[in-house]
Amino acid sequence: MMFRPKIIGFVCNWSLPIGLDLTRPGMMGGHPKIRIVRVMCVGRIDPAIVLDTFAKGADGVMVVGCHPPDCHYIQGNLQAERKIEMLKKLISRVGLEPERLRLEWAYAYEVEHFRKIIDDFRDEITMLGQSPFSAEGRNTSMLLNIEAAKSAAEDFRLRVLVGREKELIEERNVYGEEISQEEFDETMDDAIDSEYVRNRIYLMVKKEPLSVKDLSKHLDVDSRTVLRHIVVLRQRGWVTVDKVEGTSPLYTALEVGR
Amino acid sequence: MTVVSCTLKNERKLPPCRAACPASVNVQGYIALLQQGKFKEAVELIRKRMPFPAICGRVCFSPCQDACSRKNVDQPVGIRYLKRLAADIEREQGRVRPDPIPKKRSKRVAIVGAGPAGLSAAYELARLGYPVTVFERMPEPGGMMRYGIPDFRLQKYVVANEIAYIQDLGVEIKTDVEFGKDLTSDTLRSEGYEAIFIANGAQLSRKLGVPGEDLAGILHAVEFLRHVSLGKYVDVGEKVAVIGGGNSAIDAARTSLRLGAEEVTILYRRSREEMPALPEEVEAAEREGIEIHFLVAPKQITGEGGRVKTVECLRMKLGEPDESGRRRPVPIAGTEHTYEANTVIPALGQLAETSCIPPSLLDERARAISTDPLTLQTKSPDVFAGGDVVTGPASVIEAIGAGKRAAVSIDRYLTGQDLRTEREEKVEETTWVKDWQKITPKPERYTSPHTDIGRQKVTFEESEELLIKIKEVAMFEARRCLECGPCNECLESEGLCEADKAVVEETLCIGCNVCAVVCPSGAIKKNESGVAQVDEDLCKGCGTCTATCPEQAITMRRFTNAQIITDVLAALGGGPS
Repeated sequence: MMFRPKIIGFVCNWSLPIGLDLTRPGMMGGHPKIRIVRVMCVGRIDPAIVLDTFAKGADGVMVVGCHPPDCHYIQGNLQAERKIEMLKKLISRVGLEPERLRLEWAYAYEVEHFRKIIDDFRDEITMLGQSPFSAEGRNTSMLLNIEAAKSAAEDFRLRVLVGREKELIEERNVYGEEISQEEFDETMDDAIDSEYVRNRIYLMVKKEPLSVKDLSKHLDVDSRTVLRHIVVLRQRGWVTVDKVEGTSPLYTALEVGR
Repeated sequence: MTVVSCTLKNERKLPPCRAACPASVNVQGYIALLQQGKFKEAVELIRKRMPFPAICGRVCFSPCQDACSRKNVDQPVGIRYLKRLAADIEREQGRVRPDPIPKKRSKRVAIVGAGPAGLSAAYELARLGYPVTVFERMPEPGGMMRYGIPDFRLQKYVVANEIAYIQDLGVEIKTDVEFGKDLTSDTLRSEGYEAIFIANGAQLSRKLGVPGEDLAGILHAVEFLRHVSLGKYVDVGEKVAVIGGGNSAIDAARTSLRLGAEEVTILYRRSREEMPALPEEVEAAEREGIEIHFLVAPKQITGEGGRVKTVECLRMKLGEPDESGRRRPVPIAGTEHTYEANTVIPALGQLAETSCIPPSLLDERARAISTDPLTLQTKSPDVFAGGDVVTGPASVIEAIGAGKRAAVSIDRYLTGQDLRTEREEKVEETTWVKDWQKITPKPERYTSPHTDIGRQKVTFEESEELLIKIKEVAMFEARRCLECGPCNECLESEGLCEADKAVVEETLCIGCNVCAVVCPSGAIKKNESGVAQVDEDLCKGCGTCTATCPEQAITMRRFTNAQIITDVLAALGGGPS
């Protein structure tokens, strides 16, 4: 049977092409090629929601907001842009092609343009094929990975970086230091890497107590890095030592810290 | 009538456009609907406030546009253009025929004068369920909208359509009935009308007050325009001199051109800046070849064989400001000069016709009806008056405002409520923009289509006929709106955003301020204890704060993450797309 991709389109109320009548936000459907979930503004798209959407088996996610510099809510579209950039990096670590997530701009009156961006995206997703998270393909380790990505996206560090990016680059930080886009991107990449790995560690030791060596093997990350993350996670109160096996401490998750 | 508002706390915080509108039309609201391509809904929203979207879309002097905040960035939003376009697009789909409103009230209301004030009052009262009868002296209803504004600005069918809408609601209009002659307030009372609204306008033309004023060939602007509107041919001859600088003067001049005059001159005693006419009308007149002479005033009119031949004028200079705030013109001695004219059209404004009004209702100078400015009640408790008859010549939208105000008073009077309680409107203008520099300029894209002058000059077709009646352009223009006001303006909250607002879970808030950084409308501020607080008057419900809050301490009232995930699941579960 021909592959018919499941595509979720998060479309802002003000980009929704005229003629499509979804009487309230959150209403699905309305379009033959994309399953539309209406939101008031794409700035509303919580990164965790997008990850959840992939985890639930969407083959592609398209986010459509107003063309910058316009936005019904002034800058919601630019906020969305930052979130999507962060998310693309995050999903590529989970094993999803970043192309499965796309941000497009449209005005409500650009009906033809809307059709075109949907067709383009659908072609791309058709080429990429079914998402590894679709019901047939997914396995527990993948689910753990995307769960970790989702937790990372829900946690303080990535959210605050995404939320503050514009302000930090345009205005200077609280110490009056100027921050360039490159410096910021470096910090962001590092934060994505560490938070993703830390959340994986947390979810793994939540299932069974594991040593640094075990974790290093499971995560395919060198043991020094794992240890560094463990130190941070212990400081945060997410993990603690369960018992010592031989000379290696086994770590376990703490519910309280999260 | 209560405002159905999704911002429940303070509904008197208004965007500047709506605060400037005498009829309090939800400008920001219908523009928001246009942004989504909801043309029909936009017109319906205008009709919640007043019955003349197509008329005002053409001839309103649009105080909303003058107040528009966008002028601080580039140009104001083309509000009048948008209103007209929405109304025209609605009409393209056929005349809208509303269902009659059930007459659930028994007390009858009589309205004198079927102009914008009288019809607006009738419209409001009919919607409240009162049986309303409007009495009109002329053969057709519409007042100045029908008899004072020429076709090339406002086609008769536009007026007729919007009046038909009011009639469809159940308002009865009786034409060819003259107040003071065929009926009086006493006869109306004896016929069982329990409240009367007098809105018969200002029909008397102001005199020039110079020698020669009674010569043949002198026709006052409003009478001239009325003649033409009645379909009578007026022979204006080759040369026409119009005296005055208001819209009537411009209308009369342009009409003369269309009646075959070769040379039309407007004589105005002040300078261009003081002209009360709409600048675009003045420009249109000049494009059509009408000459405007500033700082000249007639001294006398001379004739030949009892008919006008020349207008002798004096040059003027501007002196000290007068009570209208404009600089008073002062004649310069010895600057007499003459203009030849076959027809002279004085357009110096109108006065209320007071001879038909019971003398007991008039003010001490017997020039106008005296009313309570707040309630529009006259000295007789059951008689109300408003519009030009009270204010002197004004505008359509101001008359609409007066009609609405009278309707509220009449309803209160008939239901035994106090007329004055909570009438003092404390309107607070609001806009979230603090730094205009930060807004990206986006100049208007529609062009005012005063083209093809050759054809226009000879026809009474609408000269502002839109060459670009394209929804895209309207929606582009609509998107220039900065949405100054709180998000309660489209009154569609139930079907649209469900009046969503951000809610802070105070125990989770760590005071990091990221929400305030991403909030587009400055609705979030930290309180004394460092916890984020949402100002619901400003929150537009976009949800960016919710999607960004590092501690997930902000959620939305209706569209929570869980709700969106439920929608996603429903969408994914809907079988292959």
